[in-house]
Order: sequence, then C-alpha cells, then structure tokens
Amino acid sequence: MIEILMNIGFGLGVATFGFVLQTAMGGINRKIAARLQKRRGPKWYQEFIDIFKLLSKRATSHGWIFDFGVIMALGGIIGTAMFMPITSSIVAFEGYDNFFIFVYLIAVGMLGMAMSASGSGNPLASIGVMRALTTMLAYEVPFMVVVMTIIKLTGTSSLTGIAVAQQTGDFNWFMIALPLGFIVAVMSLMGMLGKKPFETYIAPAEIASGPMVEYGGKQLGMLFIMHEITIFIEVSLFVHLFLGGAETIIMFLIKYFIVYAVLNLVSNVLGRFKIDQVVTFFFKWPLFFAVVQAMIAIHLGWVI
Amino acid sequence: MELSIEIFILATLAFGLMAYVIGRLHKQLGSIMTILGSLTIFGGIAYLGFTGGLTGETAYLTFTQFEISEFGLFFAIIVSFVFAMVSFFNPFFIKQYKYPALYSMLFMFSLAGAIGVFFSSNLLYLFFFFEFVVWTSLFLIPMGRSKKAASWYYGFSAAGSFMLLFAILMIYNANNGSFHISGIGSVTGTTQIIVFIFMSGAAFTKLGAFPLHIWLPKVLTNAPDPVSAVFSGGLEKLGAFVALLAIVNMGGIGFIIPSIDMYFGQMIIATLGALTIVFGTLMAIRQDDAKKLLAYSSMSNGGYILVGFSMLTSQGVAGGLYHIVAHAIASTAAFLAIAAVARVAGTTKMKELGGIIHKMPVTYMVYLIAIISMAGIPPMGGFISKWMIFQAVIDKGMIFIAIATVFGSIGSFLYVFRPLAALFLGQELPQFKKTVKEAPFFMLLPMIILSLLSVYTGVLPGVIIDFINKIFVDMQLNYNIVMNGFAIEGYTSGIEGVGPSLLNPLLIACVFGVGVFVAFLIFIVLKKSKKIDLMDTYTAGNFVYTEEHLHYSVDFYAPLERLYEKYIHIMKNFYKSLANKVREFGAFMKYFFFTNKPEITVFWIVALMVFLLWGDVL
Repeated sequence: MIEILMNIGFGLGVATFGFVLQTAMGGINRKIAARLQKRRGPKWYQEFIDIFKLLSKRATSHGWIFDFGVIMALGGIIGTAMFMPITSSIVAFEGYDNFFIFVYLIAVGMLGMAMSASGSGNPLASIGVMRALTTMLAYEVPFMVVVMTIIKLTGTSSLTGIAVAQQTGDFNWFMIALPLGFIVAVMSLMGMLGKKPFETYIAPAEIASGPMVEYGGKQLGMLFIMHEITIFIEVSLFVHLFLGGAETIIMFLIKYFIVYAVLNLVSNVLGRFKIDQVVTFFFKWPLFFAVVQAMIAIHLGWVI
Repeated sequence: MELSIEIFILATLAFGLMAYVIGRLHKQLGSIMTILGSLTIFGGIAYLGFTGGLTGETAYLTFTQFEISEFGLFFAIIVSFVFAMVSFFNPFFIKQYKYPALYSMLFMFSLAGAIGVFFSSNLLYLFFFFEFVVWTSLFLIPMGRSKKAASWYYGFSAAGSFMLLFAILMIYNANNGSFHISGIGSVTGTTQIIVFIFMSGAAFTKLGAFPLHIWLPKVLTNAPDPVSAVFSGGLEKLGAFVALLAIVNMGGIGFIIPSIDMYFGQMIIATLGALTIVFGTLMAIRQDDAKKLLAYSSMSNGGYILVGFSMLTSQGVAGGLYHIVAHAIASTAAFLAIAAVARVAGTTKMKELGGIIHKMPVTYMVYLIAIISMAGIPPMGGFISKWMIFQAVIDKGMIFIAIATVFGSIGSFLYVFRPLAALFLGQELPQFKKTVKEAPFFMLLPMIILSLLSVYTGVLPGVIIDFINKIFVDMQLNYNIVMNGFAIEGYTSGIEGVGPSLLNPLLIACVFGVGVFVAFLIFIVLKKSKKIDLMDTYTAGNFVYTEEHLHYSVDFYAPLERLYEKYIHIMKNFYKSLANKVREFGAFMKYFFFTNKPEITVFWIVALMVFLLWGDVL
C-alpha cells in the first residue's frame, strides 16, 4: 500500500517535472524563434507568467459539461504523464509503461477537451475539434505502423524495454536503424504537436483558435497546463522510441531540447495546410514510407 | 441444483406465449412479461452455469441433443444478458407498434432460438434453432420505420442459412453420418476447405462483415429502437459464434504463408475483417442518422472480432472473445441511450437535434461511457480487447492488417464523437427545451448497469480472462492468457533483462483517477466561474439570435468525407448489378422454359425426342 502511494507520488512528480520542463522549453524556443526573426522575444519564463495569471483570474463557464470536460482533459493527461519514464531507471510504475497506454490514455484527455469545447456551444470550437480529430486520423496511422515495426523488432511494447534495447546495443538508435521510419515519425510528431504546417485545427486567424475559442481564466489556464504536459509526453515518447531513451537525466534534457528545438525551427519557416491537404499528405508519402520501412525491417530483416 | 437446458428453452417459449396472451389483454403487461422472462432466463443460466448446475439431458424435447460447453455458456450469458437489459425498454416503446402482443412473443422466441443455437450438440438442430432466430427476429424488424429492411435481412440471412446448411451436410457426409458438433474439427482435405468457406460465409452474413454487410445498417436503422440494440449487442453475436466454430475450431486452413506464419484461409479472413473495419469506419463517419452511425460501428467492431480470431494465437482469440463481451455491453448501452433520446425527441437525425445533454444528463453519461469503450480508450472494456488484438497483429508482423486496425481505432474516435457533439452537446435548440425530459427510472436502470459493467470489464478483467481460459481448455486449444496479479501478460519479450509487456488495467484506472482528482483539486481551489448562457459566445462581431445558426452539426466531417465520397457506393452497385444479372438470367430461362409460344414448345419436344432417341442408339 505504502509502495503504491510512493509510486503515485513519484508519478505526480514526473507529471510536474514534465510541466515545468516543457513550459520552460516553450519559452526558450519562443526566444530562439524571435532571434531568427530579428526580434528580442519574450522572457524565457513568459509562459509560466501567462499560465499563473490565467489561473488567478475569474472566468466564465458555459455549464457543467464545459467544466467537467476541462477536469477530465487535465486529469487524463496527468494520468498519462505519470506512466512516462524519464530515464531507463527513473520510471514511476516499472514494467507497466506499455506503449499503448500513452496512445490511448492520452485520448481520454483529448476527448475531455473536445467534449468541453463542443459543450461551449460555439460552432468555431466544434469546427476546431473536427479538424483536430481529422488530423489525428491522418498522423496516427503512419506513426503507429512505424512503432509497430519497432515493437515487432524489439519484442516488447514496454517503453523502457525499447529504450534499453537501443542502449545495450541490440539495435542502433532507431533513427539510424529505421531511417525511413524516422522521417515518417518526425512528420507525425509535428502533426501531434500541432506545429505548422499541421496547425490547421488551431488556425487563429481563420477559426479564432478553434477549440480554445470560448475559454478564459482558470479553464484556459488548465488547458494550457494540459497542452504543455501533452507536448512533454509526445516528445519524450519520441526520445525513447527513436533516440535510444536516456541513461541520465542530463542526456534526457539534451535530447529533449534538440528534438523540440529542431521541430520548432522547421515549423517556423512553413505555412499552414488546409485540412484535406493534411489528410492527403499523411496518407500519401508518410504512410507509403512507413509500409516500405515495415516491409524491409520485418520481412527482409534489413535493419541497419 | 441441476436443471436441463431444455427447461430454459421451454420456459422462454412459455414466457413468450404468456406475453402474447397477456399482451392481447393489456399491452404493457405483456411487455413486462418479457422483462420477467428474460431476467429469469439470464439469472438461471448465469447462476447454474457458474455453479455447474446446467445439464444437457432431454426429457421433453427428446429429438434434440444438448451439451453444455464453456463457449456456449459464454455466448448464452452475454446474449441473454443483452436481452434482459433491453427488455426494460419494451414497456416504454410498446405503444408505437402495430402488433404489441406479437412483438413481446417474438422477442422471447428469438431469445429461445439463440439459447438453442449455443447449446445444441447436433448440427442439424443447431441449424434449426439458427433458422428459428431468423424467422422470429424477421418479424420484429418491420414494426419499426420501414418494411423493406426486413426483406434485406431475409435475403442475406437466407443466403447465410443455406451456406450453413450446406456446410453441415458436408460435415455429415465426411463423418460417416454423424451430426455431432465435434465433427467440425475432424473434416480434412478439400471438404475442409469447402466447409470452411461456407461456415465463414454464414458467420459473415450474421456478423454483417464485408462483403455481406449491406443488410446490417438497413436493419439496425429501421428496426424498432430496442430491437436495434438486441441485434447489435445480441443476435449479431450468433455470427461470432459460428465464426469461432469455423475459424478457430477447424484449425489452420490451406498452406502456411512462411513470412508471417499464417494459414492461407485465416489470412483471407483477416483481410476481409480488415476491410470490414475500414469500410465500416469510413461509412460511419459520414452518416447523419445516429442509429445508422452506430450500425456501421457495429460492423466495424465485428471486423475486429474476425481479425482477432483469425490470428490463431492466445492474444488474438482471447482478444476476439473479450471484444465480444466489451462490444455487446458498449453497443447495447449506446443504442439504448439513442433510443431513450428518440423516445422523447422523436428523431435520431443528428442535424435535427442539439443540446439534449441539458435535459438528459444521465443518458449522456451512459452514452459517453459506451463510446469510450467502443473507441478502445481506458479504463473501459474495449481498451483491453483492442490491446490484445493489437498485440496479436504485431506479433504476427502483419502490416496491412495493422494499418486497418489502427485506422479503425482512430476512426472510431471520429464517428463516436459525432453524436456526442451534434446530438447531446452544442446549442440547446428551442424545440427541445420544453418537450425533452430525462428518461424514467426503469429505462435508466439497465443503462446504468451496462455502464458499470463497461467500467468493470475495463478495470478488473480477471473474471472474463479466467472464463476465456476455460473456453480454451474446453475447446482443446493450446492457448492461454497469463494473469500476473491484476495485470495481463502480453507478448513475451525476446530481450534479456526485459520482462513481458504487462498491462495492468486496475493501475491505469487508479492513475487516471488520481489525475482527475488532482485536476479537480486545481479546479476547485481556484476562483469560482461566472455562469453564462450558451448563446453568449464569441461570434466575431456578428449578432446571432437563433440557436440553429450557432450549432455546427450538418456534414460534420465534410472535408474528410469529400476525399472518399466517390467510392462509397462500390459494394451497393456490385449487388445492384448482380441483381440485374440474376434478373436477366431469369428472363432468359423464362423465355426458353416457361413460355406459351408454340414454336418454343415444339422445339423442346423435338429436342427431347432427339435426346431420348440418341440415348437409345447409344
């Protein structure tokens, strides 16, 4: 009993760590992007200020489902983050960090947010949710094919298991071992994070921030926290799957920073797709490459 | 206590007759008999089944033979449970039907038929009960919106029944005149392949799998609302039962494909199952009628069952069986929730509905839990079955099947969200502000029980996994699912130092609970929000006073639908042109054989004479 409580406390620590890390990373990357555009940019802790300001303000609510959805969204994401390993040894629930938990438990959070947004009664929010779900259908399929290839090769769906398999030298880092799959995964990760060119569902100038349109005050603050933790989950998932995980926390921070910064730089020079372009894009080349990679790796056994 | 299964069948029939007689006198009382009857049958079978008190002896129906098998029991408990839950809705819907007494009787009779199918050890009587279900359920359908749906059902069911009968006769022939059910496993060679094809065909028609799915959406849309729930949760599972006999019990069919270690026959089934998933998902996304949407979702979930079975591994078959439980519970709950809305709102078209949640919050929660399970999201039952099927598919390294399963799984988020957003959420339309109110207690009761079971199967899978293991022993299959405490062991690892991948549903549920608790704490300690009206929203400076204009529900996924709308009629056109060809062939035959033109008659007389004389010469 005590042990389980300790683990849960540990898990909450991981979630908090993720929130702090990603919020700081987000601030730093805003600064980097600003310097590229010859601006000064905000302070690196600007995002913390924004979130705490929002949390302290009095907000409006559109009924119980509006609030309930927000709680379910943040709860689901915190729950998912609690399973996330940081290094191969720092993991709250050892042996239970099954890959599918991250894909499906994160969906509870997404569902909560979608529900809350639709419950606000604003059509722009519903359009945003529609676009978010459509984008999800697009990026998730190629990504899952690549991850299934990795699971088939390593023989485990435990995230630490996959990371350890890369560290002990059974496989190279999967970004090298499965080069085509890696390219696909990078594109899918951009879709997951809602970075340009796949930020169709936020599209501030077009549908007024999509799902977020009706929020303010503490609800918006909670959704910001949820958003930061979601990004933490997705980027760390990528680090563990393709970059060999991390032996130490420093390595984790470095890898995390590189992945996030590179994606941020790429997205800053791109425009935005229309929603049907997102779908046709993902179902054309990324899916094709993912299938080719899976064929090569599983049936021919060619893994670098 | 020991009771024979025939007592249950006779009791069900007796309840049906009583429901008819009482129903002639008083409509509601007759339908209340269906509640009592199906609850008694479910309680009896479940209690005696678990305590080992069921026997197959026959004293009255001496011409039939019954045997109590674990898998028969498994299906019988699920189906009778679905009937028992749905029967609570009958008294509230009985006034809509033209023949209320007949409805109550047929409702009970189809349950009797289903129990007969699951326990018959003689294949010929299995066929008899199979037909009994078709004939009783056939007359339930036209009491709903359309009579034409019944003819679609009859057409496809007839094809399925003939295939089943043909397969049974082949088995009879191969086993030297024995109709015993164990004969299915002992056919060999070409006969085995033919039997496999025909039995799978029968399973596909009942399950509504691609390419024999056309009847399913029509029936589930047009049947009376409780009957749709019975079909989706209960009677469709007859197809899964036949599929289990054909795909798993018969073993591998044809040659082994070496690179994926799959038998050719099973590979074909898996491919068709995958097509069922993709097709069902794409069609469900573009429906406007909530019942039709759920119908296509049933079809897509049937595909998961087929994919799971055809893997022929512990994870795959167990995943398929678990999916039967999870889907029966979730789908019944979803259909009942929609039925509850239809009863007060008078329609299931999503473009005409909106904001029902403000008057029917409990129904909304039931629907929410059902769709979480259907989409395979923890902590509900659907997650565990989908996880096991995923593990099995990856284990085999089948990429294209994996694409279909993932596509179906993510696609299900899209389509199950559609009724949530358009029907329950969004603006509260003025026409429903006064007329709509929460369903009465006896309608909420079965829905709440189903929701609790959805959660239970998703948090504590132990009981059902044990049952599935017993089925494996009973069917003499070399499969086993290992439970490690509360966790299920998946795929065993090939790497040293890494244990098998574990899934602990209880832990996931607890952690999710902790997450929600933390979020709730954050929410509650912060300043209280001001409640504002739904119409008080951001409209980019426009003044909008009508609720409809702020309710986004028509063509929800229009950009996505546009990408494939050209291709949706492929199967329908195929069947249409097939029907045309049959009609032409019939006209051709009629012209030559059934005509009153003298020259044709003379021609046949001459031809016959020539034939007879020729035969005489030779």
